[in-house]
Amino acid sequence: MRALLALAAAAGLAAPAPYPVVRPGIRLSFPADHGAHPAFRTEWWYVTGWLKGEDGRDIGFQITFFRVNPHAAGDNPSRFAARQVIFAHAALSDSRVGHILHAERAARAGFGLAGAATGDADVRLNGWTFRRLADGRFASRVGGRDFALDLTFRPTQPPLPQGQDGYSRKGPKPEQASYYYSMPHLAVTGAVVRAGRTERLRGEAWLDREWSSDYLASDAAGWDWTGLNLDDGGALMAFRIRRKGGGILWAGGSYRRADGRTTRLSPADVAFSPTATWRSARTGARYPVAQMLRIRLPGGIRAFPLRPVFPDQEVDARAAGQPVYWEGAVRTDGGRGYLELTGYTTPLTM
Amino acid sequence: MRDRFVTMHAIETRGLAKTVGRDRRLFHDLSMAVAPGELVAITGDSGVGKSTLLNILAGLDDADAGEVRIEGIALAGLAEAPRTRLRRERIGFVFQAFHILPYLTLEQNVALPLALISPDAAAARDQARAMLGEVGLADRGRDYARDLSGGELQRVAIARALVHRPAVILADEPTGNLDPDTATRILDLFARAVRSRDAAAVIVTHSVATAAVADRVLRLTAHGLVEQPLVAVDG
Amino acid sequence: MAEAGLLRSRLALAWLVLGEWRWHPGRFAATAVAIAVGVALGFAVHLVNGSALASFEQAVTGVNGVADLQVRARTPLGFDERRYPRIATAPGVTDASPVISLSARVGSGRFTLLGLDVIRAAAVTPSLIGTRPTGPDARSDAVFADDALFLSRAALTATRTRVGDRLPVTANGRTVSLRVAGTLPGAAAGQALGTIDIAAAQWRFGRLGRIDRLDLKLADRSAAERALPALIGADATIVSDDSQARQGDALSRAYRVNLDMLALVALLTGGFLVFSAQTLSVTRRLRAFALVRTLGLPRSGIVAAVALEGIIIGLVGATLGLIAGYAMASAALRLFGGDLGGGYFGGGTARVVFQPVAAATFFALGLAAALLGSILPARAAARAAPAAALKNAGDVLDPRAPVPWRPALVLLLAGGGTALLPAVGGLPVFGFVSMALLLAGGVAGVPWLVRWLLWPWREREIASVPRLLAIRHVQGAPGQAAIALCGIVASTALMIAMATMVTSFRGAVDSWLGQVLSADLYLRAESGDLDPATQRRIAAIPGIGRVAFSRQLPLTVAPDRPPVTLIARPVRGDAGYPLLVLLDRAAVPAGATPVWVSEPAARLYGWSPGRTLRLPIGGRPARFFVAGVWRDYARQQGALVIRDGDYVRLTDDRGRDEAAITLPPHADIATVRRAAAAVLPAGVSIAEPAALRRFALQLFDRSFKITYVLEAVAILVGLAGVAATMSAQTIARSKEFGMLRHLGLTRGQVTAMLASEGALLGLIGAVAGVALGALLGQVLIHVVNPQSFNWTMTTLWPVGTIAGVTAALTGAAALTAMLAGRRATAGDAVAAVREDW
Repeated sequence: MRALLALAAAAGLAAPAPYPVVRPGIRLSFPADHGAHPAFRTEWWYVTGWLKGEDGRDIGFQITFFRVNPHAAGDNPSRFAARQVIFAHAALSDSRVGHILHAERAARAGFGLAGAATGDADVRLNGWTFRRLADGRFASRVGGRDFALDLTFRPTQPPLPQGQDGYSRKGPKPEQASYYYSMPHLAVTGAVVRAGRTERLRGEAWLDREWSSDYLASDAAGWDWTGLNLDDGGALMAFRIRRKGGGILWAGGSYRRADGRTTRLSPADVAFSPTATWRSARTGARYPVAQMLRIRLPGGIRAFPLRPVFPDQEVDARAAGQPVYWEGAVRTDGGRGYLELTGYTTPLTM
Repeated sequence: MRDRFVTMHAIETRGLAKTVGRDRRLFHDLSMAVAPGELVAITGDSGVGKSTLLNILAGLDDADAGEVRIEGIALAGLAEAPRTRLRRERIGFVFQAFHILPYLTLEQNVALPLALISPDAAAARDQARAMLGEVGLADRGRDYARDLSGGELQRVAIARALVHRPAVILADEPTGNLDPDTATRILDLFARAVRSRDAAAVIVTHSVATAAVADRVLRLTAHGLVEQPLVAVDG
Repeated sequence: MAEAGLLRSRLALAWLVLGEWRWHPGRFAATAVAIAVGVALGFAVHLVNGSALASFEQAVTGVNGVADLQVRARTPLGFDERRYPRIATAPGVTDASPVISLSARVGSGRFTLLGLDVIRAAAVTPSLIGTRPTGPDARSDAVFADDALFLSRAALTATRTRVGDRLPVTANGRTVSLRVAGTLPGAAAGQALGTIDIAAAQWRFGRLGRIDRLDLKLADRSAAERALPALIGADATIVSDDSQARQGDALSRAYRVNLDMLALVALLTGGFLVFSAQTLSVTRRLRAFALVRTLGLPRSGIVAAVALEGIIIGLVGATLGLIAGYAMASAALRLFGGDLGGGYFGGGTARVVFQPVAAATFFALGLAAALLGSILPARAAARAAPAAALKNAGDVLDPRAPVPWRPALVLLLAGGGTALLPAVGGLPVFGFVSMALLLAGGVAGVPWLVRWLLWPWREREIASVPRLLAIRHVQGAPGQAAIALCGIVASTALMIAMATMVTSFRGAVDSWLGQVLSADLYLRAESGDLDPATQRRIAAIPGIGRVAFSRQLPLTVAPDRPPVTLIARPVRGDAGYPLLVLLDRAAVPAGATPVWVSEPAARLYGWSPGRTLRLPIGGRPARFFVAGVWRDYARQQGALVIRDGDYVRLTDDRGRDEAAITLPPHADIATVRRAAAAVLPAGVSIAEPAALRRFALQLFDRSFKITYVLEAVAILVGLAGVAATMSAQTIARSKEFGMLRHLGLTRGQVTAMLASEGALLGLIGAVAGVALGALLGQVLIHVVNPQSFNWTMTTLWPVGTIAGVTAALTGAAALTAMLAGRRATAGDAVAAVREDW
């Protein structure tokens, strides 16, 4: 979840040398852009998806690796200098459990224990990995106290650049933006190990890749984001950035049909409206866990009701010094995906 | 009465008065005299002041009024030191409880008064031995108090009281802790020894048998000393 | 039946006890106080030690932040940081947090500065993580900042700073300006701790490439413990909290046990005091007891009555003692610190931690001492035939009765034999048992000693009546003398023993310092190193003869033992160095690398000359040949000397921290000293041997201060015992004095008799105490000391102390007897001879 970056990014000093600014007019190139962009302040590899267990039940999962350049190293020659910091997060939403199982890791890059390679996707952190294999598939291995995931992701569609060819605005100022592409409809195979039991899984996932230096406007409180793999092969991504004190600061998204035709959604084309809220007894936060997402397409407005598989998909990582957010597997009519709700406890600063 | 001419009294009191506590008057205007070689018994009920009188005679206690003279010397005029010297040299004591020091030999016990007068240990030992012989304990000089019976202990005490040839011997219930037979024997011994040395002896007692060995018996009452006729007691 | 009888007689028993109290409240109070003093001392010393150890353990956990396991460098040189990823990914290890550990100061304020990876530490040792101060303008940007310092509350106090201040922090010889970015709320109270980013610590404080420890979080402890030894390298060791606590424990255990023992001595003396007092009290009441027995009290009733008194004395005394002990412990911690001046626990301040088990133990010991001290005489009294006791005035003594000497001899022999047994778990348990046996034997032998000492006067005529009476009484009643003396003999013996040990030790240290400090000037880098450039400058100081640079490093040989000191310096030839006082040596075979081990090191690790040992110096174990054992009183945990050439070959470390400068004959030290001061960098101190020697002896005296205090208290308790017993015995003899006054002894003569008797007793007590003390001192020197501190010494007799104690004891006893005698004779001689009880 992107909110993790709050900590790491905020931790960066006022940079001695400025971070590169995200500007329009780039061309994404692969596999180089699967790899890290260390000069930028924040970057993530963000996989969410639905798996089917051996008994046919649905299991949601999330695997995220973050890279942050806190600009703290200066010219310190120490191998420990915090040039890059890697965070990772994994969560499992199993309706049989009724709440999210999650695990997190963090480390400064170095010593081969943690790092994000450039040139191709290869992120590692204390034994957790996310990388692209020679055959083009992605593979990830994560694990915590409650579960371990060992998954491979086979792309079935070309990458989906968000915004203007991968330049995705997040706020009213043009530099409040990120480079952003998604890879929807990844075919997943692998296994989950829980309580010593290995279960074979298959399913479908969504990879988000995003890097930027100035993600959130200072008056932003948080965001609602969703990525949906539609049963007809289409893919929908939509987000809105909420203003502190109420109101919407920015919104956007994209809709790609199975044939590849893509509609870019501008702030006026996206509307989220809560249909049900859930209050966390742990944190007291009230999340709009079910929403009606309306997007304006050339053919007219289309509505996607987002319904969580179960309401308690709050991730409380405060014990690890990380924020609280809601990251849940949701169904929609003719599709499935993930809904992310951040900044409902305290506003994020990114 | 003895046929001896008395030139000077060994003990002489005149007008003695003693009150103990706030107003318990033991006696007043008490006068008596004891000649050398005379053995006087003082009897009386418990608490009339027999022992107190004895202590006043010894200079260990002071009378409220009147005077005591030992061999003509007035005790009242003496400071503590000469009084002690007088007691040491001219007075012998016999106690009801014997008071034989357990950590000294009998010989040493007997020799104590001599040792107090002179550092001549050999002389003291010889005299003590002789004295022990006189009281019938000739070979017991090296023994200790724990080897002796009560009667024997009192013999030692008598030997100790006489060894330095005092002019005055004061005895307070000397047979109080002894059985009658032993008491009689001890008293005979005591009387004999006193007389043979021409000492003046005062025995405080309430035993008739003890009084029987005396030349005179004086009864101390609240009204003073009353001379009692001698009663012959058949042994 | 006896029980029922006793129960029915409880009113009579209560009367017996209460009557005694009503008549002698002071005596009861005094015995209770004696027990209280013993319990208080024991409890206080134990509490102080326990609290110090607890705070030490707290400090250990505080600095370590409760990691599951640590990989820790054996020396302050640290180990290679490249071992970190291998250990972090070892089987069973979940996470590893690398740490740089430095001792830092700001001005005079000192604290432990840890360089941490805040993210790793958050997972492994969360208590070491600082928080940001809360406030509208505060941002969290300090986490990786290379000048952000987080200080614990105690460190803030020690450095007199506040959050937001900028400070010059000195560590490892460098001074860096850091900003106090926040506090360490997880740090234990009293723990002076600071954290900065590990990269900043490496770079700013000159530790690039090295780390001092890795804090590990484990998933599978046994797997980790199997895998780690192969990965950590020779210059690191695996440490658990447990082994750290053991290390702290091992550091001071012997010292603490010795202090506990000393404190128990005070309790023992208190027990003897109760014994004396109760014996007298029983003797005095012998006829009262005989009477009640005649009236139908069973024999056990007597014992029960006296035991009841003992229990009440014990309860009152022990309760008072616990309260006083707690108060004393608090005061001592404030005045002397947690180690009572022993110098074992640095850093954190200790607070008194109440220990219920120890409290219960000392309470029980106090009670037991009082009870035992009462029951022994009561049993003797109960055995007496009532009729005889009634008839006799109680003076049943027989001067010719033989004095038993066999029990004393058996106890002394057993004590001597026990002293030969080896230590148990590093503690001289049998040494102390031996001392207890010798003490018991010594006290039991006092009556015999009295007889033996007075034997020459047995037959002799004594002209002076007072003196005759005095000598005859002591000679005739040695048992009574022994009762009066047992407390003082015990406390004198222990004091003389301690004094002998301390004097011998101090003398040994003094002469050793004289031998060891043979150079003319010593330089020492207080923080950081004398780097090669500085060494060259020092060597070039005009007017110096020879200069020897040395390196001193703590080296952890066994994880649960405190580190030994590794000393690298020039050593001439293979036969040692003039500065080493060799106790033992072996010829070094050609090609072997020699090491000279200190006496404590040799004893602790069993290294003997001629052996070959492997030492973890410079990243891999190196083989050394033990060329000799040298005397060392400075480093109780052991020290090793290796040649500086070998050291450089193994470690490539050319920094040194000390230099010993020898001047040519007739050179002027002051001139050279001035010249040296001119070329030395800041932080290097210059000292002359005399100053070092003075300083060392000051340290020595400071660390033994508490033992002096304990000794003095033991002696005072003993003297109080003599005073109480003598006066009680004197008063019991007032009848005798009355008779003597009738016989014509002046008051002065009676007083003179008592004074000579008191002096005689005091002298005998002193002789017995000194003789026994000499014996115990030998056990301390040759058994307890080598077994607990691992060094040996030759005996030096504290002649002054012995003379002083003897004089004080004789005088005090004579004075007490006189004062008591004055009271006993002040009453009327007339009343005294009267037959009454």
